[in-house]
Amino acid sequence: MTTPAANASASRTWRDIPQPLKPRAMSRGGRWRLAMALVRTGSAVALGGTALWGAWRVAAALGENSRAMPAAAKAVPVKHLELRTAGGGVLDSGWLRRTLALPAGAALMELDLDRLKERLLAEGQVQSANLTRHFPDRLVAQIAERSPVARVRAAAPGAAERMFLVARDGVVYPGSGYDEALLDSLPWLDGFALVRAGAGFRPIRGMDVVSDLLARAQYEAGHLYAEWSVVSLARLESDREIEVVTRAGSTVVFSTRSDFFPQLAKLDYMRDYLAANFPPVRVRIDFTLGREVPVAFAPLAPGADARATAPSLSPGFNVSPSSQPKH
Amino acid sequence: MSSRTTFIGAVEIGTSKISVLVGEYTGRELAIIGRGECSSRGVIKGTVVDYKAASESTHTALQQAERDAGERIDTVFLAQTGGHLEGFYNEAAVNVKASDNMIEPGDVQTVCDLAKAKQLPAGRVVVHHIRRPFRVDGRLVPGSPENLVGQRLDVGYWTVHGQEQRLADNIHVIRGFNLEVRELVLSGLASGHMVTSAEERQHGVLAIDLGAGTTDFVLYRDGAPHTTGVVPVGGTHLTNDLSIGLRLTEGQAEKLKLRFGRASVVTKDKAQKVWLDGNFAIGDRQFSQQAIEQITCARTWELLEVVKKKLGNAFTPDTCAAGVVLTGGTAKLPGLAEAAAKVFGVPAHLGEAPSWVNENMRDPGYHTALGLLYYGVSAQAEKPGPGRRGGFFSGVKRLFANS
Repeated sequence: MTTPAANASASRTWRDIPQPLKPRAMSRGGRWRLAMALVRTGSAVALGGTALWGAWRVAAALGENSRAMPAAAKAVPVKHLELRTAGGGVLDSGWLRRTLALPAGAALMELDLDRLKERLLAEGQVQSANLTRHFPDRLVAQIAERSPVARVRAAAPGAAERMFLVARDGVVYPGSGYDEALLDSLPWLDGFALVRAGAGFRPIRGMDVVSDLLARAQYEAGHLYAEWSVVSLARLESDREIEVVTRAGSTVVFSTRSDFFPQLAKLDYMRDYLAANFPPVRVRIDFTLGREVPVAFAPLAPGADARATAPSLSPGFNVSPSSQPKH
Repeated sequence: MSSRTTFIGAVEIGTSKISVLVGEYTGRELAIIGRGECSSRGVIKGTVVDYKAASESTHTALQQAERDAGERIDTVFLAQTGGHLEGFYNEAAVNVKASDNMIEPGDVQTVCDLAKAKQLPAGRVVVHHIRRPFRVDGRLVPGSPENLVGQRLDVGYWTVHGQEQRLADNIHVIRGFNLEVRELVLSGLASGHMVTSAEERQHGVLAIDLGAGTTDFVLYRDGAPHTTGVVPVGGTHLTNDLSIGLRLTEGQAEKLKLRFGRASVVTKDKAQKVWLDGNFAIGDRQFSQQAIEQITCARTWELLEVVKKKLGNAFTPDTCAAGVVLTGGTAKLPGLAEAAAKVFGVPAHLGEAPSWVNENMRDPGYHTALGLLYYGVSAQAEKPGPGRRGGFFSGVKRLFANS
């Protein structure tokens, strides 16, 4: 007798006839059923995928729950602090370490992330922050930083006078990690009342408009922007005017009622015209009267340089003690 | 067995009509919940000759059945008939391996594989391997021979095979509706299982399914199918004979066959006439009733003689104690049972569906579709495999009661 394997039936059965059929050989009803079957299959796959994703999310959420962690995991101290900052950020992990000021040997699971986040946001330079635990011993801070558009000199409560930076949204912050050349290129702000709030200051109102002017000047007429030394907000709210003082002592008054670009273009033309036809003089150019642009001339003081006189503008800041928050 | 409910369709693509039944199968029970029927087109003698026409009529019946059931069919049991289907018997024997001569599963597997190992000609594929009872040292064993003691184990298989292309055409008609063919069942086996009782099959019975284009027959012995066959002659041939003999259109001949056709000649008076329509309209004609009976009788007797001849030595009156059971649409021809009794020399009667089948499905035209579900599901349940449990037939008993 031979083995079964050797004698297995080699004859083909009807099950060997391939059943799949090309759609063109199907009736309309068959094609409809095929389409519906594909839709059902696709839906089932999508549903399954969603369920798996949901399960993964739930597992991740449970992993974040410190109560669900074993005691051994709770005791693991933080060994790595990682800072991930959005494009253009200047802060580094040293700043993060100083700012968070974690106690030595602090366990990852024992950290109060909300409080640490508040600590980061207290630095005006940080616009948004998100802290996440990465097991077993890594704390990751993901932040977005503010960019300075101007600077002011002021005295923080209980501290000596120093330079602060102003962001586009008007937030005033000390600033850290910036390049010195960048800071030197920023114009000073003048003509407004800086109001104390807690350990810092309240945001400066109207900075969005000023920022628009500065940004426009910086990108459309960089050579003009480079000459600007002081930007005054004194008549911004009342007359909707922004007064800019150049390093040479000239004054340009911009109107916020019209687009800045034509005003900058006129200024550029007039600057070239004045340089070609007049000796160096201090002028006052006023763009607030529409098509009429009055230009007032004044003799230039010998050796006058706005850059050198910039700190002297700082007394223009009016720190209002009366508007300090009540504690 | 899976507890998931599936909706199974039983499809018979016949020469005259296409029948579809929908069964709700829970893994233990089956209930018939839908029915569809459509005139057949593109099918001659059980073979698809016009794919588009056959598909359209089949799909219409399937859609009708699905609408009736209110459910979508998942898989289909498909009846198969046609003159291309043939069968042969092959047997094998093994010596029992164990030293204590106790038959082990390996011995059973070996002898079964050997008995099924016969090669088929090119282009032929197996439709059924029907196992006949085992024999241990010549002793008949109706069930499994495992753990019986003996030296020699014999088994034989009746293998039904058909032409691959014709089977593929039938399968593709079903696939054209995006349905999977789960089982291909010989029409004769399906209807035969329906109209014969287990007791009759045990004693030996011949089931003949006279359809429109083909005649299927199954000879049961010892409780199992012994020999099967298909004769490509059916009721349409009687119609055709009348059409030629009496010079009638096919429709007129069909009408005469249904009204006056008989499988035996009982009219003695040659002058006795019958009207074609009987409505006294212009064009209505008279025909000799005896001539009609002679034509239908001659073809019927010839058909039964062909069946007897094809059975050969397998059929003897002694081995067919339960007689002949007739089913199928043409079995409604009066006098057919008497004719069959005379041809085969055993009692003959018209087959009836079991009493638990619903009244509106007791027509012989539904026996194949009913048997398809019954036979197909039974065959699935009988297949040895993981997870399959006994006690299925107790559940199957109620299959059709719910319909």
